[in-house]
Amino acid sequence: MRPSRVLTFAEYEARRAVARKKVLALVALTILIGVAPYYLLDAVHDTSLITPPLRPYMWVVGVFLPQAFFVQFTALLIAAGSMSEEYEQGTAEILLSKPVSRDEYFFGKYLGGYALLVVIMALDATLSLTSATFVFGAQAQLGVLPGILLTQCLAATVFYSVAFMFGELMRRSSLSYIVSASVFLTSEIIGGILNFLYALTGSGIYRSVNLYLPTSPVDSLPLLLAEPKFPSTVSTIFRLGLATPVEPSVLASGLLVAAYAVTAVLIALAYFSRMDVSKRVT
Amino acid sequence: MEQVVSIQQAVKDYGPKVIGPVDLAVEKGEIVGFLGPNGSGKSTTIRMLLGLIRPTSGVVRLMQLDPLEQHVKALENVGYSPELPNLQSFLSPKELLRLTARELGLQWKGADPQLAALLEKVGLAQYGDYKIAKLSKGMVQRLSVAQSMVGSPKVLILDEPMIGIDPAGVVQFRSIFREFVKEGGTIIMSSHILSEVESLCTSLAVIHSGKMVFRGGIDGFIRQTLSSRSILVELDPPAADPSLVQRVSSVSGVRRVSPAPEGLLVEAEKDSDPRAEIAKIVVTSGGSLMGLRYSRSELDEAYIAAIRGTAQ
Repeated sequence: MRPSRVLTFAEYEARRAVARKKVLALVALTILIGVAPYYLLDAVHDTSLITPPLRPYMWVVGVFLPQAFFVQFTALLIAAGSMSEEYEQGTAEILLSKPVSRDEYFFGKYLGGYALLVVIMALDATLSLTSATFVFGAQAQLGVLPGILLTQCLAATVFYSVAFMFGELMRRSSLSYIVSASVFLTSEIIGGILNFLYALTGSGIYRSVNLYLPTSPVDSLPLLLAEPKFPSTVSTIFRLGLATPVEPSVLASGLLVAAYAVTAVLIALAYFSRMDVSKRVT
Repeated sequence: MEQVVSIQQAVKDYGPKVIGPVDLAVEKGEIVGFLGPNGSGKSTTIRMLLGLIRPTSGVVRLMQLDPLEQHVKALENVGYSPELPNLQSFLSPKELLRLTARELGLQWKGADPQLAALLEKVGLAQYGDYKIAKLSKGMVQRLSVAQSMVGSPKVLILDEPMIGIDPAGVVQFRSIFREFVKEGGTIIMSSHILSEVESLCTSLAVIHSGKMVFRGGIDGFIRQTLSSRSILVELDPPAADPSLVQRVSSVSGVRRVSPAPEGLLVEAEKDSDPRAEIAKIVVTSGGSLMGLRYSRSELDEAYIAAIRGTAQ
């Protein structure tokens, strides 16, 4: 596999994804969700809602709020169309009729879309931090931000890879988006119910099952890293994203994230390597 | 001669439909017209050659290499323009050619003069910065051919390259393809425009219902398929006197002579060539011979006869 060709396809994929209006719309919405709360609070002049001890940590709101849903949906949208739209538009055969290997094409496209997602998350974090500083003054504990961003990026690989896999297996962008979004939502809903049952009954079985849902490590990984670094009063902010850490440790979460992402990528790669490059799918 | 394409007993089983077994060999320097009705297996054969689809059985070699297992090496010197190309509409022609150059490993900044020359060659120089989405169908076709020529390939595989091209463009493309072959290239071109195939190609491969029904020269195809040949004798004035008709009718190999708007239409035995004798008769009879050639519709007739024959 030649890095220059992987890079070529990565750049191409990022460019292609940005050219899609629905991706741009979702990116705008994701950033809006991260930034809007600050200005809403500022506009209503109701800063009494935010007690002074919480104010230096308000950047966490914008960083965590979009994580649970909007970042995941952006990941799904970018990844579900990555392979499938090339078949739908008939462009895959032109790209693959050149002296490039399927691996180079596959990983280039995977990495290109993922790089775009990372840029979106970094942009959201930067804008959140800037807005929090503007509205609530100097922000604290910023040393944790790179770590949080890194874990969020790692966590996003799960549903990004799942959608990428469905895109290749189904070769229909809408269908793969619907299926991967359904997997995500179903997992979130079941996870919520299991959490509720666990809180109600204290039975370990609910927590054990919850551990292995794909949304659990996605939600847990950044929270497990971030929460211990902040005063306990800040934990309410973390809960704004509706996520609750389920895994016992960062390592366990990380391993589950890797397991889900790698499995999805390997299935997609095995399928792509063996299957014909279909003509335009209509 | 160096063989650039070799397909032996290649079969692609789609389930409800089976293409093959297909046999095809193409030598360096040929311009092969790849003919066949819609759905006969032309695109499948081309796609097997390019390593885009896996044959169910048989052997496919491009530049003497397996295009699936040795894809990068086999496709190094091959350019491909698909049928009704769907190019990346968000890119401009310049950007598409740069992308192609990068796929080929050419430094795109360094490749820019070559890419500009290619756009000029296919008549798109002034549209280099337009979005592909804004280009007409014919322009997209031109661009598709241009992208197939990035990196100076030795083999061009063109699926219906003349579709949507205006007459001036067709003439331009003909000259581009002839020049390409003159410089040592090889072209495999599928087309439904038989006049184009006749004027450009040096040989034919005819496929029907997934089977190769003919491979060889155009003349050989016509002789093999038609029971007789049509010769058009162009006269000035076009109306021939009855004695000339009678004398031409008596030439060996001539079956029938009938009047035509240009002069005479002579039906001859398929294995004979009475053109020299007919010319001599017209000239000695004091007529003005303006032209003497096999009828332009012969390839069409032969093709239709071949397809019908196979269908039967």
